[in-house]
Amino acid sequence: MANIASQRIKREFKEVIRSEEVARCSIKVELLDDNYSQLKGEIAGPPDTPYEGGKFLLEIKVPETYPFNPPKVKFLTKVWHPNISSVTGAICLDILKDQWAAAMTLRTVLLSLQALMASPEPDDPQDAVVARQYKGFPEIFISTAEHWTNIYAGGSRKKEEYSKKIERLMGIGCNMDQALVALSGCNWDLDKAIEQIFG
Amino acid sequence: MADIFNFIFGVVRNIFRMFSSSRNPLNNSLNIFIKCNTGNTLTVGLDPKWDIKDVKNIIAPKLGANPDEVKIIFAGKELDDSIIIEDCDLGEQSTLHAVKLKDLSIRATKQKKCSLLRETVEDEDEITLLQEKNNRDKSHFYVYCSVCAAMKIGKLRIRCSKCKSGAFTVDTDPKSWNDVLKPNKISGHCEQNDCPDGVFGWAQFYFRCAEHICQGENDIAVPLYLLKNNLRKIPCLACTEIKDIVFVFTCREAHVTCLECFRVYAVLRLRERQFVLDDSFGYTISCPVGCENSLIDECHHFKLLTKEQYEMYQKFATEEYILKAGGVLCPQPGCGEGIIVDLKCDKIVCVNGCGYVFCRKCLQGYHIGECNSVDNNISIDNIQHVTDPAKALQARWDEATNVAIRVTTKPCPKCRTATERSGGCMHMICTRCSFHWCWVCQIEWSRDCMGTHWFG
Repeated sequence: MANIASQRIKREFKEVIRSEEVARCSIKVELLDDNYSQLKGEIAGPPDTPYEGGKFLLEIKVPETYPFNPPKVKFLTKVWHPNISSVTGAICLDILKDQWAAAMTLRTVLLSLQALMASPEPDDPQDAVVARQYKGFPEIFISTAEHWTNIYAGGSRKKEEYSKKIERLMGIGCNMDQALVALSGCNWDLDKAIEQIFG
Repeated sequence: MADIFNFIFGVVRNIFRMFSSSRNPLNNSLNIFIKCNTGNTLTVGLDPKWDIKDVKNIIAPKLGANPDEVKIIFAGKELDDSIIIEDCDLGEQSTLHAVKLKDLSIRATKQKKCSLLRETVEDEDEITLLQEKNNRDKSHFYVYCSVCAAMKIGKLRIRCSKCKSGAFTVDTDPKSWNDVLKPNKISGHCEQNDCPDGVFGWAQFYFRCAEHICQGENDIAVPLYLLKNNLRKIPCLACTEIKDIVFVFTCREAHVTCLECFRVYAVLRLRERQFVLDDSFGYTISCPVGCENSLIDECHHFKLLTKEQYEMYQKFATEEYILKAGGVLCPQPGCGEGIIVDLKCDKIVCVNGCGYVFCRKCLQGYHIGECNSVDNNISIDNIQHVTDPAKALQARWDEATNVAIRVTTKPCPKCRTATERSGGCMHMICTRCSFHWCWVCQIEWSRDCMGTHWFG
């Protein structure tokens, strides 16, 4: 790994560790190897959003060309959000692509992701299914996102009705992830979800 | 008592004799050219310990004048009698200018205590003169010297913008790079006898490499004015280290990188084909923070790259120029010759390069009819049947390369650059022409693509 990149990440790592956000447990970062090329990030779901109470893990890969090129970041924790792929965790955020600037840091990336969770941009979606629900059925979107946060990120809000539907699907041979994705994508219409999985 | 006195006197006399005898055969003398406003040039050996008064004493007889009728000009300043040669920063074979005054009274009014022009032009810096003085040893101009073929410390020199004579004195010192780089900013007057400007003229600034012996009047170097001494200890924005010499970008925020990070950044963007061809500045890049209006406006700064990297820079710049002018690049492996042809013509012959004949649209061997699959191509090359076994072997590799490129890449719908998709979504942005396109549809990226197959 290029010296510039590792040196820079070393500093940024310290910046995050010392930041006030870490002090309030809002962001966290952890090293995965000695040469600072792979990190694990964690952000708390922002308050007053369906993600509140959840902890979201991120995979951060630092390219050799850092900081002239952006780090590769994706969600490891599954999340229901218009700008984050519900399947792969890929993120659609301009600063992680062409709007990246060499002056940005791990800390600004984590804070930007937190801001993205609080204010989705459905017109520039990463996940078209989620974006459609967000625009067409905002209430279903919120309860779905809360349910996902409960299952994958340790949030406290969930819907009993949703849990029962998932159990029904699991009863006929689906696994949990499969059932959740299908039901969420069909606005919790059980018949449509069954058709999608088995049809 | 008298003996002691005599002894001391003797010692003093000996010292004096040693001192005065050192004036004749000079051991560590500087060979200096003295150019006179009458047109002739003298070569003299000067002792670095001498002052300007001594120089005048030598020059005056040769000019047919009294020493106090002569003034010596160097780097835009008249040198005071008391200035010592070694303080003038004169290099071996530098040129001083001697002027024979016609009227002594002019001189009396003009005479003032002149300080020497120092290497300390700082853009809008609040650094005080005192600080500059303290940092004099560390503070330099940097130039690209074509003689040394490297970045070197440079010296600022001044000449008349009209007649190019160095017998020119400035009215004020330059305060910023703007004063130095832009014409007609600093006024002065030219002492050259036949100069049309004479009493009122404009100074022209130029640079010399300080690290090789001056090879004459035309031995000038390009200023790398974005390189500065890091007097304010600003950390590199990329590696965060504080280095002595830094690259300061032209944006309003004046972002700073160290030279190593500048090189890494420039080579990276070069390889990504992210340089832009600017009409006034040439093939260049902007600040790594992405600030507006921050293009590097002097392309000689890319001479900081290695020779190989600079050659790549020149090659890419030429290619971009040809493409911008509506030309094409020969697609034959190892050729890449730029060809500018009539826009209406699809059949292109690589005239000055390898002789390959190809189709402008698909960049494959020339064919009649639509550009479909390559297998249907009727290549003009096929008509010739003389086979060189080495070339045949090479051709097999070339063909395999072509197949690999065809299988793993898709051409950008706009500029036809073969593009590989290494992962991520279907939204492609061409690294050469910045066109946004869809990997699935191979047309311009749209909301439909986003809605239906963003991720495949």
